[in-house]
Amino acid sequence: MTRWMIGLGALAAALLLPLSLDPQGYWIRVLTFTFLFAAMAQAWNIVGGLANQTSLGHAAFFGIGAYTSTVLLIKFGISPWIGMIAAAGLGAVAAFAIAIPTMRLQGHYFALATLAFGEVLRVVANVWTSVTGGASGISVPFSPPSVANYSFKLLRPHAYIALAALVIVTIIFEAIRRSAMGYRLRAIKENPAAAEVIGIDTTKVKLQAAIISGMLMAMLGTLYAQVAVFFDPDTVFSAGSVSIRVALIAILGGIGTPAGPILGAFFIIPLEELMNDWFSASAAGLSQLTFGLILIVVILWRPRGFVTLFKSLSARPGGAPA
Amino acid sequence: MTILDVRGISKRFGGLQALSDVTFSVGEGQIVGLIGPNGAGKTTFFSTLVGLIKPDRGSVALEGRPIVGLKPHRVAAYGMTKTFQNVALFGDSTVLDNVLTAGLLRHDVAAARHEARRCLDRVGLLAIAGKQADTLSFPERARVELARALCTGPKVLLLDEVMAALNPVEMREIMELIRSLRDDGITLLVVEHHMRAIMAVCDRILVLNFGKLLADGTPKEIASHPEVIEAYLGQSMEKHR
Repeated sequence: MTRWMIGLGALAAALLLPLSLDPQGYWIRVLTFTFLFAAMAQAWNIVGGLANQTSLGHAAFFGIGAYTSTVLLIKFGISPWIGMIAAAGLGAVAAFAIAIPTMRLQGHYFALATLAFGEVLRVVANVWTSVTGGASGISVPFSPPSVANYSFKLLRPHAYIALAALVIVTIIFEAIRRSAMGYRLRAIKENPAAAEVIGIDTTKVKLQAAIISGMLMAMLGTLYAQVAVFFDPDTVFSAGSVSIRVALIAILGGIGTPAGPILGAFFIIPLEELMNDWFSASAAGLSQLTFGLILIVVILWRPRGFVTLFKSLSARPGGAPA
Repeated sequence: MTILDVRGISKRFGGLQALSDVTFSVGEGQIVGLIGPNGAGKTTFFSTLVGLIKPDRGSVALEGRPIVGLKPHRVAAYGMTKTFQNVALFGDSTVLDNVLTAGLLRHDVAAARHEARRCLDRVGLLAIAGKQADTLSFPERARVELARALCTGPKVLLLDEVMAALNPVEMREIMELIRSLRDDGITLLVVEHHMRAIMAVCDRILVLNFGKLLADGTPKEIASHPEVIEAYLGQSMEKHR
């Protein structure tokens, strides 16, 4: 029961937080991105946490989502909400296409192969100028502010949409974790051969997880496009600032747990911003260095993530009576 | 009635002929022992039966249905699974969740949990259902393996050294369990090094040596089989009985 209390308390705080920040200000933007990255890390957590397949290519789906809705809006005037559904479809297709060849790989090999896929898409988006606008980037055209147009004057609605996305993705993650699929993914993580022998279709389960994860990631790409308003291939298909960052958030927070990505995002995203804020004037390089040092210290201190600070939040496989 | 029919199974790993032309069939409800010196191909043979290893030649039929070439999860769905000799539990999960996961083959989560408790009760481990699997002792883990395999609802169960490292009391318990499983209609193939146990529990014994089926008979016949004694024991069986 305490887990529910903590969850509800955190949700109430998250609902109040955007109201207390300057609606035009810098920090509400940071908060929106924190929610968004927490949701992205949670989507990653389905594959990276439950099946322990450390994908370093989730930027592929994210970028596909950002470009799909934006290109549909520019070329056909289609609302980003519809564009998000198209993004989900393309994200699923991409996840399927990437999963088929990489699924049999494990550990570092899987990580490297997925990393390569993300990079390939970045290069493709850079050269496919007729659709993506190429390296010079793409702007989300202005639509009259309305919910239907997914266009707002202030950042506050974006913060709430990102929060809603985080809540939905977390619910999906938790539902999977507690379901038969969650048990199967954990079995695959621990011992694929034994999982097969006791009747788990490991190929099918991994594929399902990859598709759900890629689909959600693509939809979050659409949210990002609407908040960012302008982006280029090197931003949304970035290995460093999307793929690896998302994995890092989940790992730092605690992989395979619903609270992990949220804790990780609320640590990493504001910290990065603070570092940039403090050091950018005096010594730009110092922010990255300090950030890196903090990460090293944290990972040595809590190798299984921040969730281990709160025993009641950590992964107790779904509903098992203690 | 024949439940498992193995015809001419052969498997080669590089220069090693791991299995050559293994042929036999098992009647429903039998307890069949599979013995042989280390490296004789017993574990390879089990892995081949459940589909983890694809044989170069030969066929296997489970209840008349050919299963060679099927993935292990299909073989499990048809009703045959095995335990792992070196124990392959899901170490991060609880004992209950390990077994429950196998129950998902034929049940939803709630029913699988119920079934898992039943299987754990059967192997006498219900009391430690909430413990994390990799904190258990080796004999306990072997029993969890057994419960997990059982929870798939098998018709044919392949047990790969579940009695290793057990004390005589525990061994007797497992032997009783094996008999009771047979009484439930499960057919069992048992790989075991402990001669007294295997002689006592099996209706029939197969002897593998260098991947070949050396002998096939009742425990009594095997114990006095000259080739078996030479290949496997190097001394009279009588001393072991």
